[in-house]
Amino acid sequence: MSDGRFFISESDLRALAADLLGAGTEVIAPVAVDACASPAAMASSACMRPGMEPEDLEYRALTDASQLDLGRGLPILSLKGYFLPEHEALCRWKQKGTTIEIEAVPTEFAPRVVLAAKPCDSAALAVVDEVMNWDYQDELWNGRRAATTIINLACPVIDESCFCTAVGAAPDATTGADGLLMPVKDGYVLEATTEKGRALVEAHKARLVGSVPAETLGRQAADERSAASARVAGNLEIDAGSVRDWIDTHFEDPLLASLAIRCNGCGACSSVCPTCHCFDIVDEEEGVGRGTRRRCWDTCQSPTFTLHASGHNPRDDQNARYRQRINHKFAIYPLRFGEVLCTGCGRCTRVCHAGQDLVEILQAIDIAARRPDEAEAAAAPEPAPAAPEPVTS
Amino acid sequence: MTETATDVKEMREIARALLAEGDVRVIIGWEAARRGARPVFVTDPAEADRLIFDARCVHNLVTYLNPRRDHVAELGKIGLIVKGCDVKAVAGLLREAQLTRDDVVLIGVRCGGVLEENEMPAAVTLTRDNVAPRCYGCDNREPTLFDHLVGEPQPEPPRPAQTIDERIAALEDRPLEERWAFWTEQFSKCVRCYACRQVCPLCVCERCVADKTRPQWIEPSPHARGNLSWNVTRALHLAGRCVGCGECERFCPVGIPLSLMNRELQQIVAERYGYTVGDDPEQAAPIGDYRLDDEQEFIK
Repeated sequence: MSDGRFFISESDLRALAADLLGAGTEVIAPVAVDACASPAAMASSACMRPGMEPEDLEYRALTDASQLDLGRGLPILSLKGYFLPEHEALCRWKQKGTTIEIEAVPTEFAPRVVLAAKPCDSAALAVVDEVMNWDYQDELWNGRRAATTIINLACPVIDESCFCTAVGAAPDATTGADGLLMPVKDGYVLEATTEKGRALVEAHKARLVGSVPAETLGRQAADERSAASARVAGNLEIDAGSVRDWIDTHFEDPLLASLAIRCNGCGACSSVCPTCHCFDIVDEEEGVGRGTRRRCWDTCQSPTFTLHASGHNPRDDQNARYRQRINHKFAIYPLRFGEVLCTGCGRCTRVCHAGQDLVEILQAIDIAARRPDEAEAAAAPEPAPAAPEPVTS
Repeated sequence: MTETATDVKEMREIARALLAEGDVRVIIGWEAARRGARPVFVTDPAEADRLIFDARCVHNLVTYLNPRRDHVAELGKIGLIVKGCDVKAVAGLLREAQLTRDDVVLIGVRCGGVLEENEMPAAVTLTRDNVAPRCYGCDNREPTLFDHLVGEPQPEPPRPAQTIDERIAALEDRPLEERWAFWTEQFSKCVRCYACRQVCPLCVCERCVADKTRPQWIEPSPHARGNLSWNVTRALHLAGRCVGCGECERFCPVGIPLSLMNRELQQIVAERYGYTVGDDPEQAAPIGDYRLDDEQEFIK
């Protein structure tokens, strides 16, 4: 009998996605998209740059089960946008004289399924749940969370910027998700971990094989899980508690106060971050006397984020703004909610073409916190490993 | 590699001397880090050996001269390492009175082209498949705006598999509705992080039009209207000013091919006003220049 784990072949997994789509359920999953997608066929030659990958991976609503990409790469943007969209209407208004009519937006959503989510992306949702239910219950966030069943796909660990295990996540974690797909020979081991996950399994039993031989597939799955965790742990090992306490007590420390010298303050890190959740609320007029109130992603890396109406700006340079990013993620949030506001996906590091490197920064803070005698050596970034030595010939 | 290494050695010597003699407080150049080359700020002459220069040094460091960057300005007088393309942006800042010539010491490096993708442990030989397309046809391999110039004259960068101009021509060949569909799709990806603006060495406005709320010129939401308005407005504000360094496109987290727009506007400015952006700050740009024979048939 089943121990809650099932085997599913790749074709049955696609068939399961097709069944869901057939029943009218929205299915969100990684999809390889043409980086230059356009209805015009010529566009790809105009937009493609030499050496560029023709395809990016993005979470998209499937229109066909064949689009489901099980290649285990990392989508450019996290799952965040499906719960906190880049922009969304909060209400619409109409004004005539002094009469204002407010039209509310729906806060209930149709059930939907996310397949093959990255464990770092689902974990981020669970972390952000805390602030979304802190004093105000965010109906839009909660409505989408309640309507969504998320099945993760265990991650092979993408590259040297991954560090999920250093912040309490793991490449095979199901935090924030309802189940896990673990790749094995010819298919996947599917494990449901919540009621929602079990309901999905129950509804699609016909596609599943109810036993996973422990000695073969079971062992293969377990082996890959531990190998992936070991790989990511090799990238960064810190003590998140020490990091939190050190940041909390070293606000003016030169290490924290001068992290951002090369930072352009562009905020791309916040856009791609699965846990950055700050938003701005704007009123956009859509004609005389009517408009929409929207919330849009915002970033603490922008000077206008904290600019007061008086003209005063408490975070008036980029060093202060960058410190805020680190402080919020690794001290303020864990002190208030017990969890680090980061799941180690590494997107911020990969997206930063100015070379701000969170792995290196956390390493430096960890050393300052736990091995202060080494901190001085670590304060200077690593010696240039690939610097060409001057040849004197 | 001998030649490159000699360049680097010379560059380090100059940097060391400038710092040691107090001529500058910081040298901004490139270093080799965990994920490849990146900007470095050297304040101690003993650390001048961190500086590198090779085909991975794609960044336009002139962005750090931007008067908005308080945390860099605080460091004191800057010595800046610049490629031929980068120094055109310095000329732009001088031309627009954002900088005075004495504010900065320019260490020019003769450059034979850079890589499109620079995040790698060591530089590789440039080929048609890895060269930054903007390097093709570089007209400033022998810069004229500098205080020090290092290195030997470099060979022309290889021709990329497809040049930016060829990509523009391919687009222009298509009917209007297809071009519209193309740009609509591209702008739909925009998340309005404003990375393009933040990294641009010439986006120097004290307060960007996108940040103004009274009136709200540009809708802040990343929907189709807001995104079109933002991207087109920015491109127009850079017409005749953009130096084609491509940093906006490189920093765009969602891969919008901004170079195509910027280059197209460069072509239009060249055609209409006979102006090509160079590194001579005395050469007036069309936006800041009035001539009796300026084209004006569009004024009706």
